[in-house]
Amino acid sequence: MAEYLDRSSDIGKLVAMPDDDMIICRCEEITKGEIRKAIHDGMWTMTEIKRYTRAGMGLCQGQTCSRIIKGMIAKELGVLPLSIDDNTARVPVRPVEVRVYGKGIN
Amino acid sequence: MIRYDVIVIGAGPAGLSASIEAAEAGMKVAVFDENTRPGGQLFKQIHKFFGAKEHKAKIRGFRIGEELLAEAEKLQVDVHLNAAVIGIHDFNSIAVVENEQVSFYKAGNLIIATGASENMVPFDGWTLPGVIGAGAAQTMMNLHGVLPGKKVLMVGSGNVGLVVGYQLLQAGVEIAAIIDAAPKIGGYGVHASKVARTGVPFLLSHTILKAEGEEFVTGAAVVEVDSKFQPIKGTEKHFDVDTICMAVGLSPMSQLLRIAGCEMKEMGGLVPACNEYGETSISGIFAAGDVAGIEEASSAMVGGRIAGAASALRDGFIMQGDFEEKYKALKESLNQLRQGMFCKENRGKTDMTATEEGIPLSNSLLEKGYLLEKEIIKFPGVKKKAGVHPIIECTQNIPCNPCQTACKFNCISIGENITALPVVIEDSKCTNCGMCVASCSGQAIFLLNEDSEDGFVSITLPYEFLPYPKKGVKGIALDRSGNRVCEAEIIGLRTAEAFDHTALLTMKVPSEFAMSARFFTL
Amino acid sequence: MRIKEHPILGTIKKGKKVKYYYNGTEMEGYKGESIAAALHAEGVMVHRYTSKLHKPRGVFCAIGRCTDCVMIVDGKPNIRTCMTLLKEGMYIETQYGISGKEVWQ
Repeated sequence: MAEYLDRSSDIGKLVAMPDDDMIICRCEEITKGEIRKAIHDGMWTMTEIKRYTRAGMGLCQGQTCSRIIKGMIAKELGVLPLSIDDNTARVPVRPVEVRVYGKGIN
Repeated sequence: MIRYDVIVIGAGPAGLSASIEAAEAGMKVAVFDENTRPGGQLFKQIHKFFGAKEHKAKIRGFRIGEELLAEAEKLQVDVHLNAAVIGIHDFNSIAVVENEQVSFYKAGNLIIATGASENMVPFDGWTLPGVIGAGAAQTMMNLHGVLPGKKVLMVGSGNVGLVVGYQLLQAGVEIAAIIDAAPKIGGYGVHASKVARTGVPFLLSHTILKAEGEEFVTGAAVVEVDSKFQPIKGTEKHFDVDTICMAVGLSPMSQLLRIAGCEMKEMGGLVPACNEYGETSISGIFAAGDVAGIEEASSAMVGGRIAGAASALRDGFIMQGDFEEKYKALKESLNQLRQGMFCKENRGKTDMTATEEGIPLSNSLLEKGYLLEKEIIKFPGVKKKAGVHPIIECTQNIPCNPCQTACKFNCISIGENITALPVVIEDSKCTNCGMCVASCSGQAIFLLNEDSEDGFVSITLPYEFLPYPKKGVKGIALDRSGNRVCEAEIIGLRTAEAFDHTALLTMKVPSEFAMSARFFTL
Repeated sequence: MRIKEHPILGTIKKGKKVKYYYNGTEMEGYKGESIAAALHAEGVMVHRYTSKLHKPRGVFCAIGRCTDCVMIVDGKPNIRTCMTLLKEGMYIETQYGISGKEVWQ
């Protein structure tokens, strides 16, 4: 799906933007600037951004911000959003209390 | 572990339809839904649906939900509510959280009908309480009877934005404006028109700049954008609103399919690669409804039926021949819904200038939400006739035809092609029964009596607001843009079970306003 | 604010009245409606303050996706109020970070 990203390609300098302090990941309160910086630090996949910044790692598990972050990575790299892989989909896809999850299987 | 023949995930229009089809074939079916109420988004849809009779056209969404539910119950489909499916594991087994316990269920066939989630665009202040999704507004007002706010700015002019906008008006909420970054209204013209005629302005090529407020929304700032969607300095506008409602598109909720390992493709978000029966790359796992590609609830119902029937065929519950016959009819029904100006192939097309009939499309409709008088008279639903006659202001090729059958007196014709514009038959005799007005899901049909007495005409219009103006009341007639045109007197108000909560309001206006007065306000 | 009479839905059907507590104040809502709907009807907009920037949050998606509307319900934090139905005697509190008290580290 995602095309091979040449990590040696130059994506230019990180230029500050007026809306860099805007929240992108609502749960973990990660800003646009933090995510843009992460991309320029070399985090070019959704998974890397998630692990590097915690964006998409909060209570909602990226339900709202994933799509936005995907668009941001694509924009910074100058590629189409569809060439960026989504975060890995994992069980559980809905929030579950650990108390319930740890109870064992019915 | 409990075993079923089919497990359906999601009790929305697609999931319920799939379960009905499979259960009808004799399969043991379970449906799982994380919500307390089944029906998915159907119970929030209080407008009449488009399409043909087999798509349940002119029936309101929540009633379709009730019908599907009753049907599923009759067929003894096992509906599990408050049951969130959290994963798909090997050999078609699913993990479900219900009653504070994780349970596993297994089935020969899985039909994933998890629907879609709303997209959001970030902007300054978008985390403030009072910035809500359009779905949230619908949930609040149509499920719980709670007003989302007093005054709303709607962001997005697709069908969701337009329909929810109208629903907000019906609930008694004021709409400051409907804005969209695109230069043209994305949804059906008829949906835009019924909002525009109440006086709601459309601001196309506008984007939201800021949600104002400290603790919650107290206002909104918007700005005009150029053709590259860049803000134009000096065009900022402010609105005093307490709610900003976001209707900027949907994405398929396909995580479960990805976990299962189905081959995916990009289509406005990841969707499973399916064959014509909705079966994914994994045999026995099907996808139906929005999760397989964003469409309307009507097509989701047909897609669900196809997947249900295909799973029945797969396990030998129906014969190949019976399936093929069924599939042919369902496919035909689906094809009908996938025609017209708004179909997938035409989405995003900017070079459409005329209808299938060759009539120029109205730019005013696409940019402001209403047709100009000089444009409307070119359409085949608008004819000058003696006595009472329908004026059909339906000007885009959309798959919908209830008006044709609503008229028992053959005044209206659409013909075989469901997307054709309705034609008012020249030598027909309208009986003023009003069925066409009430049956039009787009509220685009009016009855005009041009030979009323002493320089006045009467106009009958669909009206879905409370309180109903009483007979004899004097007020103001508004034109298609919501501007005041003249004084009007209510001379009739008709309600009937057959009209299904669309009241028919008849107002008397001076004859020169026969073709401009289209709404009434006090 | 509640809709009294709706042109399409008529009189909105409600469950029986229940009493609950919002930050210690007794309030009234209806059985079967979500906590979020009951609070919204009473004009409560802020459900919580975020842990990092201490910013207010409320209802956003109302269908259990965004988890923005979480509050402390009967002592448990992070309860999605849009998905949790109101019950008699429920104790609902504004959530600060994941705490019930406005104490920031």
